[in-house]
Amino acid sequence: MTAIQTNPPQLERRYARLGLLLIAPTLIVFTLVIVYPLLAAIYLSFFSIYTPTLEGGFVGVQNYVTLLTGKAFWNSLGVTLIWTVGTLTLQMVFGIGMALLLHQNIWFRSLARSLVLFPYFLSTVVAVLVWRWLFNDLYGAMNHGLIQLGILDMPLDWLGSMPNAMIGVILVGAWKFFPFVVIAVLARLQTIPEHLYEAAKIDGAGPIARFWDVTLPQLRNVLVVIVLLRAIWDFKEFDLLYLLTGGGPVTSTQTLSLLVYQEAFGLNQMGQAAAYSVGMMLVMLVFMVVYIRRTGKES
Amino acid sequence: MPRLRSLALNLVTWTLVLLIAFPLVWMIITSVKPQTELFRIPPTWVPETITFEHYWRLLTETPFLIYFKNSVVLATTTTVFVVALGTLGAYSLVRFSYRGRETLALLVLFTYLLPSVVLIIPLYLMMVAIGLSNTLVSLILAHTTFALPYALWLLRSFMEGVPEDLESAALVDGASRMGAFRDIILPQLLPGIISTAVFTFILSWNEYLYALVLVNSDSVAPLTTGVMSMLISAFNIEWSLLMAASVMMSLPLIVVFAFLQSYLTSGFGAGGVKG
Repeated sequence: MTAIQTNPPQLERRYARLGLLLIAPTLIVFTLVIVYPLLAAIYLSFFSIYTPTLEGGFVGVQNYVTLLTGKAFWNSLGVTLIWTVGTLTLQMVFGIGMALLLHQNIWFRSLARSLVLFPYFLSTVVAVLVWRWLFNDLYGAMNHGLIQLGILDMPLDWLGSMPNAMIGVILVGAWKFFPFVVIAVLARLQTIPEHLYEAAKIDGAGPIARFWDVTLPQLRNVLVVIVLLRAIWDFKEFDLLYLLTGGGPVTSTQTLSLLVYQEAFGLNQMGQAAAYSVGMMLVMLVFMVVYIRRTGKES
Repeated sequence: MPRLRSLALNLVTWTLVLLIAFPLVWMIITSVKPQTELFRIPPTWVPETITFEHYWRLLTETPFLIYFKNSVVLATTTTVFVVALGTLGAYSLVRFSYRGRETLALLVLFTYLLPSVVLIIPLYLMMVAIGLSNTLVSLILAHTTFALPYALWLLRSFMEGVPEDLESAALVDGASRMGAFRDIILPQLLPGIISTAVFTFILSWNEYLYALVLVNSDSVAPLTTGVMSMLISAFNIEWSLLMAASVMMSLPLIVVFAFLQSYLTSGFGAGGVKG
């Protein structure tokens, strides 16, 4: 983060100009595709626009009144919170557990690690296709496998009814995104100094006590960052839910991202959709500010 | 005793690993099963006959290859564009001092976390207004919205890891800043650049929402929306064809895993999860 500073002022100014010149292309693209659309979204939220014709007019805060007094936004906010908390909890539990196992000296360790990482990098489209086939009520491997193992008596309708649909998306979300936790935790585990464990051993701590007294405190910082990042990403997830259930049955898995899409391109109300998206961003801003402040402090 | 413990540990770990990998194994098994075997109840866990007819049909009778080509063009162009801009930008953010630099870094981080659905409506209107809707160019521009902040953030971390003294020494020897950048920084940053490029490519390859909104004809659709449309348009869903498509769609990923995996894991350390 420190620039080279032992130069005369003239050179310093030239360097500053060169620095700005180097960042200029990025700035221009940023302004065009991010800053301008972001401001435009806020501007559009005060209009009523019919998507196919793109015609409409200024309606003031009407869209925000609908947001606050209608059911849609609050329903979707609730769904988003259930989905985020549910899938994030599973991701953390399985992620930490798997990282601890993969940190041990097991057979073919690098192959095991590769297999665990794979779902995270897989396209959501592929993941969803595979899971929809697994969940298929007639020929799906999930139902038949669970029946053969004696866990289920009858095939389940996994994605078409509640609460199965919510459990289904939470499970698939956990499967798809827990490798992120594994990689991040594994990287941190490898940097914990061995002598801390030896000292704990000499003090008579068993494996479980060593986990609570040495491993967990050492992981604390990285876990906070992972929870924040994953919470933000799960909160805004679109592909997985849209492709698995489309928000259904009815609106029981319709998160805020899906609500915005549905309002803009299903119900053709672009202004209202923009207002929903601004509302969603305001909710997310809380997590984002915490994460940004934390990262800013570290660097 | 320790022997027994190690055996138990291995068994538990590998059972879990195989459970996690099962959907992927099932995808491959389904893609090589003949149609008649597919709809048997209960399903055959190990295929009785192996056939590649679905792969053949996918390549000859569906627009799969067009989607594939579109995805290659889209992901490659996005990656080259974003990594080029990001490398220069990261050099500027880390090694130069000017007013507003810190604010810029925070702006990058903020946009890195921004939800796509906020940008999608104005971007759609923008593409319609400038006549770019339903083109690959519109998708490349849209992919920049998530790929550029991501690449910048990653490259910035890698750039911070390049030691400063070599650059200073070159400057004392009379090299220009850009000369030092080319001869000293770039070679040392190369692993970071490869890692960022691999990540960006995968992000762009896998993206779905922008393709769904901005593109609606087969000739410009990438794999994500293209393959999904095969699911929706089919009269009765041909799962083995879709599984074959899924395997083919994951090919670049398999290549990355086979040859470039260390770059994937090093990207993670830099991607903001430093703790």
